Amino acid sequence: MANLKSIKWKYYINYIIVGLFTILFAALSLTGMLKSSDVYLLEKISISVMLAVSLSMVVGFLGELSLGHAGFMCVGAYLGGKASVLLESALGEVPALVVSILIGGLVAALFGVIIGLPALRLRGDYLAIVTLAFGEIVRSIFMNSSDESFGGSLGLDTPRFDKKYLFIISLVLVLCCLAITQNLIRSKHGRAITSIRDNEIAARATGINVTKYKLIVFTVSSFFAGVAGVLYSYSNYTVQSSNFDYNYSIEILVMVVLGGMGSINGSIIAATLITLLNVELQTILTGNLAVLKDLFYALILIILVIYNNAPVFKTFRDKYNLKNLLNRFKAHNPSAVKDDEAKWDRVPTKIQMDEVLSVDFQTSSPYTPDKSEKGDE
Amino acid sequence: MKFIETLINGLSMGSTYAMIALGYTMVYGIAKMLNFAHGDIIMVGGYMIFVTMAATGNPILGLLAAVIFCAALGVTIEKVAYKPLRGASPLAVLITAIGVSYLLQSIAQIIFGTAPKMVNIADLGNLSFAGITVPVYTLVTLGCSMVIMIILSLFVKFTRTGRAMIAVSEDKGAAQLMGINVNKIIMITFAIGSVLAAFAGLFMLMKSPSLTNTLGAMPGIKAFTAAVIGGIGSIPGAMLGGLLMGVVEAISLTIPEIAPYTDAIEFITLIIILLVRPTGILGKKRREKV
Amino acid sequence: MKAMLKKVVALLAVFAMLFGLAACGGDNFTAKNTKYVIGFSGPLTGDAAVYGVAVHRSAQMAVDEINAAGGLNGIMFELIATDDTHDATKISTNYSNMYESGMQVSLGTVTTAPGLEYSKLSSDDNVFFLTPSASGDDIPKTGNGFQMCFADGNQGKVAANYVNSTNLTEIGIFYKSDDAYSNGIYKQFKENLNKSIKTVEAVFTGSAQDFSTQISTLKDCKFIFMPIYYQPASVFMTQAKSTIAPDAVYYGCDGFDGLAGQFEDFSVIPQEVSMLSHFDSNAKEGASADFIQKYTKKYGTDTLNQFGASAYDCVYAIYNAMKAAIDGGKEIPVTISASDLCDILMEQFKGDFTFSGVTGTNITWEDNGYVSKEAVKYTLKEANSAK
Repeated sequence: MANLKSIKWKYYINYIIVGLFTILFAALSLTGMLKSSDVYLLEKISISVMLAVSLSMVVGFLGELSLGHAGFMCVGAYLGGKASVLLESALGEVPALVVSILIGGLVAALFGVIIGLPALRLRGDYLAIVTLAFGEIVRSIFMNSSDESFGGSLGLDTPRFDKKYLFIISLVLVLCCLAITQNLIRSKHGRAITSIRDNEIAARATGINVTKYKLIVFTVSSFFAGVAGVLYSYSNYTVQSSNFDYNYSIEILVMVVLGGMGSINGSIIAATLITLLNVELQTILTGNLAVLKDLFYALILIILVIYNNAPVFKTFRDKYNLKNLLNRFKAHNPSAVKDDEAKWDRVPTKIQMDEVLSVDFQTSSPYTPDKSEKGDE
Repeated sequence: MKFIETLINGLSMGSTYAMIALGYTMVYGIAKMLNFAHGDIIMVGGYMIFVTMAATGNPILGLLAAVIFCAALGVTIEKVAYKPLRGASPLAVLITAIGVSYLLQSIAQIIFGTAPKMVNIADLGNLSFAGITVPVYTLVTLGCSMVIMIILSLFVKFTRTGRAMIAVSEDKGAAQLMGINVNKIIMITFAIGSVLAAFAGLFMLMKSPSLTNTLGAMPGIKAFTAAVIGGIGSIPGAMLGGLLMGVVEAISLTIPEIAPYTDAIEFITLIIILLVRPTGILGKKRREKV
Repeated sequence: MKAMLKKVVALLAVFAMLFGLAACGGDNFTAKNTKYVIGFSGPLTGDAAVYGVAVHRSAQMAVDEINAAGGLNGIMFELIATDDTHDATKISTNYSNMYESGMQVSLGTVTTAPGLEYSKLSSDDNVFFLTPSASGDDIPKTGNGFQMCFADGNQGKVAANYVNSTNLTEIGIFYKSDDAYSNGIYKQFKENLNKSIKTVEAVFTGSAQDFSTQISTLKDCKFIFMPIYYQPASVFMTQAKSTIAPDAVYYGCDGFDGLAGQFEDFSVIPQEVSMLSHFDSNAKEGASADFIQKYTKKYGTDTLNQFGASAYDCVYAIYNAMKAAIDGGKEIPVTISASDLCDILMEQFKGDFTFSGVTGTNITWEDNGYVSKEAVKYTLKEANSAK
């Protein structure tokens, strides 16, 4: 039974930590201990975490590369923002928030289905460019909308939610997002999804409905991107489509890749750190030093990715990682380790990055990824 | 008559995309990576031309300097940022490529400042024929990209190195077993890709002389789209895709109602083509084996 | 379990860092000021960096001059410049950081898109801004700031009136459809243009550099209205120099300023180039010439444009207004809160305060935040055939 205890702990640790800090910061905020800049930072972090967790479903678990996540967010931000403008006076602030989050999320999810459909036919980088194209198309459409509908090039004016509470709402939504994605990933459906990633043909041969699962993942992922978009619209006075360009999609992808493919906790940590890094660079490097911002960001990115992934550093990483350092302080119990390793339920959430895309992108696999012409059956 | 003019303008824009797409498709086809920094190598080439032109005033020398510098830069980037990641997830390489792209843009701003630089390479004037005016640079760019395309195709098909490239692109492991130095081949690929980027830099500056550190970013993405339309890895495909992108862009720009949506229309073209032909127009189809 | 532990520790570490940031806050951020703090947010990097850098340099120049002359009754000024890369999402961070480091008065933003976010945020805290170049019509609507540049809508109106006064029957318009500045001018221009005048329109988006299609569309026009910034304008003119009739006129707004500096030799463009602006960076006399001389001596010519001139004026206008308020019996201690200073300055600017500087003389401001000064039609370059 001691084992069972440790499993529970492992499964719920991220809820507990995010939840605890939500309560902590909520308390700080309500007693007036947080500065505006901290509040804005928390808003940004919770939006990034939600985006990274939702993208991690597509990239880390389904194994498809998406470069259009900001496009779904854009849809959510504009439609949720418009809904909040129209409903605020009729419904009051809080009901309007709930409704616009649902509207933004659902419309984004609808677009997720639309983009999920070509995903059945395309793979790898071909799908990536289609998602990138989708993001740019969405952006262009909102950019050229009329002033009355979505504000065109000036952007849509949206109400800003009271900053004392918005980040609390965002963090609670992050918890919801975690609950839904983790439950999906840890269910039998999640194992079906990871099996599609590991070998689609084998998965299909075992009777897994690939079409269904791909659509589910794209829908859920874009739903939360849409929700993140609505939160974005509530955390800003204006929603401007120029912010949702492919660079933003790439930034979300960077969070997922740095966090480790197929690791939700990794995505949470990486999203937090990258948002923090960006904001800190922006805060510290002002005036004439601003030009160094991108330089530092780029260097940190390159060094981190190479250190984390290069096969050359593997022995070094294994020797000096946090886990080993911590082990020094703990009594070593080999039997306990073995027991832990033997648990099959680690598989869906614990696949290491190098192995993750071995099927899709492995050097020996053909670079013009094609699937059977007939579709999925 | 109007339509012919639009077509020519489209080919003019498309020839630049084609030139960039050729470099993209080489690197992608052989090294199997989305080199997001390709557009920024164009920008570096542009600045090299600017510096050399300011010193000597000779565009040929400028091109030469840009070609040498870009080739060296491409090889260095490959060695430092991409090679350590060979064998790791391709997504990791994608991220370093983005990092390199930011790095190059930022270094360019630190060195050359923010103000756009004017580089007047040569005014080639216009050619009028039967009531149609064609800028000469259009013909030059089009001709040059054709020639480069043919040379590249011949090189890949008929030289030892070229055939080794095909082998590496098909199967790195098997190529290595056949005695091909995979690292060297990939290095050569990057050098060629970067040389093409330097040429693209020259042609872009011939057209629009204003040089900034984000010069290559959007054309890079469009050219990548063009390479995908044509079928990634296919050299004639890149050419075709580039020209098609240019023509679509030109046609859409001439219709006032849809002109603001030009970017969207290009990307919609991409999606439609990929839905009909999932591996691009000239892309090879392969069956996946278990 | 151990892998899990690693993640737990990492998560804890991350949040601990956050917690470190969440230091005790207070409302009185200006209490420790030893100088008056002026802040602004502009694109110091990225596509629009040339405008932000010009503002930063010129504002710094004005601050240095004021300080060298003894400040305001012995109190020095300090400038904080933050980088928003022309991106509205960066404004909340920039603004809150400046506000928390004691900013008392601001120059707002350099460009319109982030400015829309900025003016609303600053209106929550009642922080005064006088923006040098965020020309959107909505920018000063929050009631806590003014513009030094002409509002887009007004520029469009004035330009349309000018065209109406000529006997042109067909004109071309070339604008950037995804840009707030260009669109804002274009819309008002179209609205105020005589319906009898036919228009041929061509647009571009993003960072397009190849305008051959647009040039073909516009090639028969004798008058082309171009409410765009000078960088794309210089590209358009270079590409169009032999296609568009040599006696045609390019007519732009204040975004055109800086155009001449783009060309080694402006006469390679055969057409006439005119603009409606408050500043001419080729000025040979007056306050403008002084500014140009000082600026080029320090930074060279490549970032010289009306953005900088306008920012230079903004700093001096704020200084003069504060001085006038003190002369009028108001007290402005160095630790004055941003909100109190805002009230004082709003009163000044809405009152009979006038300012003469580089971008105009006897400048006054309307109560709705728009500037009221003379827009001059500068002919940057005559048509070559006219010589």
